[in-house]
Amino acid sequence: MTRVATDIGGTFTDLVALDGNGKLITLKSHTTPPNFENGVLNVIEESGLPANEIEMFLHGTTTIINALTERSGAKTALITTKGFRDILEIARCNRPDLFNLVFAKPRPFVPRYLRLEVTERVATDGSIVTELVEDDVLQCVEALKKEGVESIAICFINSYINDKHEMRALEIVKAAWPEVFVTASAEVTREWREYERTSTVVLNSYVMPIASSYLDRLDAGLQADGIFGRKYVMQSNGGSTTFELARRTPINLLESGPVAGVLGSAILGGMIGEENIISMDIGGTTAKCSLIDKGQANITTEYRIERTERYAGYPVMVPVIDIVEIGNGGGSIAHVDAAGSLRVGPNSAGAKPGPVAYGLGGTEPTTTDACLVTGRLSGEYFDNPVDLDLIRAAIEEKIAKPLGISCEQAALDIIRVAESNMVNALKLISVRRGYDPREFVMVAHGGGGPMHSAALARDLMAHRVIVPNSAAVFSAWGMLMTDIRHDWIRTHICPLETTPAAEINAIWSELKTKADERMHAEGLGDNEIQYQAVVDMRYQGQEHTVPVMTVDNWEDDTGLGLVESFHQRHEHFYTFRLDGTPVEIVNFHLIALGILDKPELAKIPVLEGEEITPIGERKVLYEDGIWRDTPVYFRPDLKAGFSAAGPLLVDEKTATTVVLPGQELMVDEYGNLIIETGVKRHESSK
Amino acid sequence: MKAANRCQFFQHADAGRQTGNPVADIDKVTLDICKDALIAVGNEVFHAFARTSMSPIIYETLDYASGIADAEGNLLTQGNGACGFIGLISPLIKELISMHGIENMHPGDVFIINDPYIGGGSHLSDIGMAMPVFYGDRLIAFVGNKAHWGDIGGMAPGSFTTDSTEVFQEGLCFSGLKLVEKGKLNPQLAGIIKSNTRFPEAAHGDMWGQIASLRTGERRLNELADKYGVETLLLSMKRLLDQGEQLARERLKSFPKGTWEAEEFMDDDGYGNPVNIKVKVTITDDEFIADFSGSSPQVKSPINTGSSSLEAAVKVVYMSILNPELDVNDGVFRPMKVISEPGSVLECERPAPTSCYFESMIYATDTVWHALAPAFPEALGAGHMLSVCSVVMSGQHHLNDQQFLIVEPTGGGWGASLGKDGEVGQFCVGDGETYNVPVEMAERRYGIMIDEYSLNTDGAGSGQFRGGSGAVRIYRAMADGQLFTASFGRNKFPAWGLAGGADGSYNYFEIFRADGTKEGPFGIVARVVLNKGDYVRMVTCTGGGYGNALLRPVSAVISDVKNGYITLEQAETDYGVILDDELNFVEASAARIQAQAEQNTV
Repeated sequence: MTRVATDIGGTFTDLVALDGNGKLITLKSHTTPPNFENGVLNVIEESGLPANEIEMFLHGTTTIINALTERSGAKTALITTKGFRDILEIARCNRPDLFNLVFAKPRPFVPRYLRLEVTERVATDGSIVTELVEDDVLQCVEALKKEGVESIAICFINSYINDKHEMRALEIVKAAWPEVFVTASAEVTREWREYERTSTVVLNSYVMPIASSYLDRLDAGLQADGIFGRKYVMQSNGGSTTFELARRTPINLLESGPVAGVLGSAILGGMIGEENIISMDIGGTTAKCSLIDKGQANITTEYRIERTERYAGYPVMVPVIDIVEIGNGGGSIAHVDAAGSLRVGPNSAGAKPGPVAYGLGGTEPTTTDACLVTGRLSGEYFDNPVDLDLIRAAIEEKIAKPLGISCEQAALDIIRVAESNMVNALKLISVRRGYDPREFVMVAHGGGGPMHSAALARDLMAHRVIVPNSAAVFSAWGMLMTDIRHDWIRTHICPLETTPAAEINAIWSELKTKADERMHAEGLGDNEIQYQAVVDMRYQGQEHTVPVMTVDNWEDDTGLGLVESFHQRHEHFYTFRLDGTPVEIVNFHLIALGILDKPELAKIPVLEGEEITPIGERKVLYEDGIWRDTPVYFRPDLKAGFSAAGPLLVDEKTATTVVLPGQELMVDEYGNLIIETGVKRHESSK
Repeated sequence: MKAANRCQFFQHADAGRQTGNPVADIDKVTLDICKDALIAVGNEVFHAFARTSMSPIIYETLDYASGIADAEGNLLTQGNGACGFIGLISPLIKELISMHGIENMHPGDVFIINDPYIGGGSHLSDIGMAMPVFYGDRLIAFVGNKAHWGDIGGMAPGSFTTDSTEVFQEGLCFSGLKLVEKGKLNPQLAGIIKSNTRFPEAAHGDMWGQIASLRTGERRLNELADKYGVETLLLSMKRLLDQGEQLARERLKSFPKGTWEAEEFMDDDGYGNPVNIKVKVTITDDEFIADFSGSSPQVKSPINTGSSSLEAAVKVVYMSILNPELDVNDGVFRPMKVISEPGSVLECERPAPTSCYFESMIYATDTVWHALAPAFPEALGAGHMLSVCSVVMSGQHHLNDQQFLIVEPTGGGWGASLGKDGEVGQFCVGDGETYNVPVEMAERRYGIMIDEYSLNTDGAGSGQFRGGSGAVRIYRAMADGQLFTASFGRNKFPAWGLAGGADGSYNYFEIFRADGTKEGPFGIVARVVLNKGDYVRMVTCTGGGYGNALLRPVSAVISDVKNGYITLEQAETDYGVILDDELNFVEASAARIQAQAEQNTV
């Protein structure tokens, strides 16, 4: 039996499959906008996998994020509480671009004339102040029909605590206009903050028609090709869901590709006995890093699309694996700024014209070009003949001359600046959140991960790097290993120490009822479902919360038992604790996992005394300014148990792994490359 | 590992020498890498504090700033939430250096300072703290921060009020004291704070939040010195300041040269007398001078500003025309000069009250902005809502009987600019990365219900580019005996139009009693009692328009009416666009036809 994962990226659609013998098949094919499903069907066909053997199909897609960033979603309307239709336009009043006095704030996805109000009001304690006037909802429907609206979002004030009116309005709209797409905010999130919740439900409605039609076409295409196995799509929370459920809340699919890489890192860690992991994914335009603490990826609901340091972006308040992304990848452009400092990124040469090395007319030197000049990369794996003189000339003109240094030094400096940017991002997710990198290993993936991670890990003081067997298509590999997952987060503020267990269990049981219903809809039996409970807590008076794991069935003393855990977590994240200050719960978070059985991975042949010889040698310029003759191994030649001392390079078709002087390489039984960085490992104190 | 790292950098330095590189001992890229790491530390210290604060004014409004300065107190990097705090960290540190002398500073010391009349001062509510950073026994830098505490005592809940007449009514004043000595908290000082604030837990939490973030900065700077070597770190600081200055001077050279003047009137001094703010801005090849001579003397109401905040007020506009994306450091500000007269409303002296210092401070920003707008149309648009429109409200929560305190700004309309309509419902220029308190949080935390939060679509600020709408916010008291204080400046003089655009409107609020009677409109009140069912309707102004309204495209006018930003009547009277009830274009007014014709001949 075979399972297949496909991940759509900007340029390529990746496929990773495991056949019945545990053999891994990886393949890339071109992405085919605007009909992305064709690229998926193509890559499956090219793989030659027999359709009738595919029992499970998993999918990551950029369709949703593209629809948002290209503004190609549906004509969407908003129905909200009387007095509040401008919440979406006022947003949070903030101006991140502090000194730009002609800034432009984000334009709402729903123009003012399509934001309609109905009479109703729920108070902060959930009580009804004003009953919903149902006729108002019907009048909205009539008005929106006239305007030719395709999709509707409903969000009422305080619906996070009581969603009765919202759900009733949803029923009325569905009954009065069965063809229209419609979502109520409570279907997407039950967290407080009306602007964020409104934005989230609006964006969900905005992409619903596109998501629905895309999933329909993909489903039809797969069936036409004779693939009738179970079909899942990857969500931003690191779990998957069926096509059917994904159609209702497609906003959950936003970051499906990138999070799969993080999830894959966690799973790989589990296989080889590492539970503290930093996932480092370096692609063409960006580097994405994320931290896994004791096997758990951090989940956030503070995600925003299009946010930059100078632009507020649009909030999407659904669970997303917390990823820090910076504009530094292989295609990032190096330049000397007005003050005479060398900068790399965030602008990228993209796929076209790409780095100078692609020979497609690119004239701006990039990190990839610098890797070629310093010998880290070999031109022989490129699709085109690489003209090194052209690259040197570009670096000479744009970087070396303005800085008054040699071309080789300039190339090395581009790499140093790029890696320094990445280290700053890595510190953001580790040291700055109270984690000691010496307790972590780095999983390096994406096309550029294997190239830079040995240096990054050393500078960050992580002791070990793992370059997985399928590093360049690792997101698809992660999908292959996924479980079904849904999250329910409910804002309900109550004191930790004094709230009766019964009140708390009432919330857990309500969430569990919803969770059971959803998981059954996923086709799971009770014995296949696992629950995890988390409470987001804070010191009374604070705003931001700290998550603490708990159980979903509280005893009388469970709350008291969590007080110390909270103090410790707070101190861990923020360096201090306030003993004696009351602690309160803000959110109840129930995670439901539908455990899918994991395929067994095949092991690679073990080294039995034979010698593995390098396929050649390259001159590489290292950070100390010294050129060293460096042996080059070919990854398919390597066997389990092989080890060698750096400096060395491991080439494969889609990536090159750099091992620095003083570091050690080992190959494990699954074919993962393990680099000991020379940093001493610290065991976690806990 | 650390040793190996440093060794590599020394090798690098040697390589630089061998190639005859003119750059000193350490290569520029290493300095840049170190410099970026320094800026990253600045960001970290800034964000760490917001996340632990106990006061909504800090964690939502981000009414605070933090920064790193070199051993002489020159600002290297600053994280701002509030734009008006720009550059306030370094005068604060320099004040402490001159007051105590560095020989009396030790590792682990933390100083506290909030005196409005000396370096880094604003109003008493903004508590400044600073810590010297030592590497071994060598002073290498300072870290500092400044944050608005919810309450530091004084005559009114929330400390800052609109009717104080001297500083002694506004809370505790710390003129540069040692709060922590060699790592040990001074219990006497902490005790004074505790006994003099209405919300001791919040004050205690914010005090520790500020100290913790300074200590994080201290630790990170030491890590940088460990990693790159202390000499590299110090050189990178110098490079950062020099580069800032160089960028500023290059931009300055490209500016139009000359002198621009403007004068504006603040609403009044609280006792019916006009208060003027006057500025003469001179730009030369290497200087930017803002001279406020001739502005009103200090007044009896708490709208006076000290000289540090006045300087910050000018820095905002200076940055906006220079390049808003520049990193903020003292190198950038080297060419800038501010002149004011001691004893004036912009350089007030003890014991002038300063609770609402931001009113005159932002008027100073606005006056410089107004003076320069015609010369810098790509950077400066028409006038905006200007005032913080601050609200302080206190009372008992109707659900849990706990005391609550609201201290918050109110968003309003911004002016239009060349090529762009004004922004709607934004906080004033003195705020920045400042967040409103969500309705759902406000209702939970405070004893109020919010009946409306919408745009003020009064249609003012017509122009080829339209001024952005202000906002309407209605707070209803849910219990008796709540106290409402507010300072809505720009309640007499509207947001100014530019390049032929119309003026915007005014900020005001009205109080509606449960029995139906109405009081107001008001601009400024202190501690008005609201009982259950009474409500305040706060309205902020629409920004000024840019360019002749008769030149606004018909399609844009139709869209404005359809979206309710302007009325059908305003389409006709202000824009000369006559539409039928279905919003179809009927005809253009004679004035519009003439304006279009004139435009075409130009």
